[in-house]
Amino acid sequence: MGLFTELKDSISRATDRLFSEQEPKRIGIYGPPNAGKTTLANRIARDWTGDAIGTESHIPHETRRARRKENVEIERNGKTVTIDIVDTPGVTTKVDYEEFTDEMEEDDAIRRSREATEGVAEAMHWLREDVDGVIYVLDSAEDPITQVNTMLIGIIESRDLPVLIFANKIDLDDSSVKRIEDAFPQHKTVPLSAKEGENMDEVYANIAEYFG
Amino acid sequence: MPHECTNCGRTFPDGSKEMLSGCPDCGGNRFQFTPATPSGADRSDSRSEIADKGGEPDRFDGSGSPDPSSETGTDWVSADQKANSEFDRPRTEPSSDRLEKSDVSDRAWPETARRPEDRAEAKRSRPETDPSPPSASEQDWTEANSNGTAGEESPTLAETEESAQADARSEVVPRDELPTASDRPPAERRQSDSDDDPEDGTEEPPDPDSEAAPENGRVVSEPTGDQPSIEDLRAELNEQFESIKILNPGQYELNLMELYNREEYIISLQEDGRYVIDVPDSWRDGDE
Repeated sequence: MGLFTELKDSISRATDRLFSEQEPKRIGIYGPPNAGKTTLANRIARDWTGDAIGTESHIPHETRRARRKENVEIERNGKTVTIDIVDTPGVTTKVDYEEFTDEMEEDDAIRRSREATEGVAEAMHWLREDVDGVIYVLDSAEDPITQVNTMLIGIIESRDLPVLIFANKIDLDDSSVKRIEDAFPQHKTVPLSAKEGENMDEVYANIAEYFG
Repeated sequence: MPHECTNCGRTFPDGSKEMLSGCPDCGGNRFQFTPATPSGADRSDSRSEIADKGGEPDRFDGSGSPDPSSETGTDWVSADQKANSEFDRPRTEPSSDRLEKSDVSDRAWPETARRPEDRAEAKRSRPETDPSPPSASEQDWTEANSNGTAGEESPTLAETEESAQADARSEVVPRDELPTASDRPPAERRQSDSDDDPEDGTEEPPDPDSEAAPENGRVVSEPTGDQPSIEDLRAELNEQFESIKILNPGQYELNLMELYNREEYIISLQEDGRYVIDVPDSWRDGDE
């Protein structure tokens, strides 16, 4: 099996190189639960493809499977970039069904919790295997310095992936973009409200610049 | 030293195979487990110790530490194990259905399991584009990786142990080889009261994850006054904490680094600790 696996790997790598020129870059939208990742993904998809959107929810872990939108063509300043957007489940180190029991029956909450955990595993797997760049979405009304954020951004940096930090929810009163900029000064932070569509021009300009 | 010959007191490191053929010094074939100090603890015993301490506030997303009382219900999804079965299963099938197909609960992986350091060398090739058609209900959003091959594995208690421990567990000590209580010093006698039970002829290696406390009340680990620093605990926990820990049904703790580092990934969980993994893409390619 070892030899067979190695052979397959080398073929796979060769194939990747062969088609890398034509393939759009796959950009993963990562972040903790409820940061607004799906809202952002939907905003981008709606703006550039006109497609309807996936499910957004105020309940954490609504997105429990990574989903992607392919061939999203973004034009900015005469430059066009085509990307595949992967909306990933929120990453966390702890999932507890009791978080959902106010909103649903216990059985459903437990199932949601299990699926959310599977979703985190999938998100981490995609980060390892399948993304060429990362949009890291944070709720700017929350403290950005958490174990999850530090660890994920560390992983992204270790892979040398281009990363943009999106300080989302700037429409909230408690929002503080500076808190995020201070937490991760090594990366470009872009303020926005995906829900309200605020500052999307700068969002797209940065996407085109970083992932073009 | 985690293992100690109850006859002559010789100690063995955890995972040692020396004792599998009896104590090299005295020929004794009954051993007791002595927890190492936390700083030098091995995987099996220190895991319990950390759980017992129950106080590492920011280890899990700043939302508190695991409830020590829930530790007894813990199942560990071990990333040291690797599926040795594979078959095509659409990713979208209900996990329970897939899991019902599992007949692997009695299989053992320790012999073929890769160590974490091996996994770090794993390939980083990109899987081919998802071939499944888009779901109409999702407006062209496609389930990522929706067409996969799933292997299954179900870590049993034995699989979460060191292989030497698992081997030792299966060995039966003939009753006539057991030393009588009077042959041993009082301290050792206290450690092995179960010898008096005629049914108890099986050697019991350390089993910190066991849900049931041994009848003779043997303590494999307990909190000590000498608590290591948070940094030590964290480093240790990171080393041991593999992938996903099920505290209770619906309550999980995740080791992000381990999830990131592993080549295969968990795609379906079951509350009893079983789970389905997606096998490496190179395997899947061969099936398609």
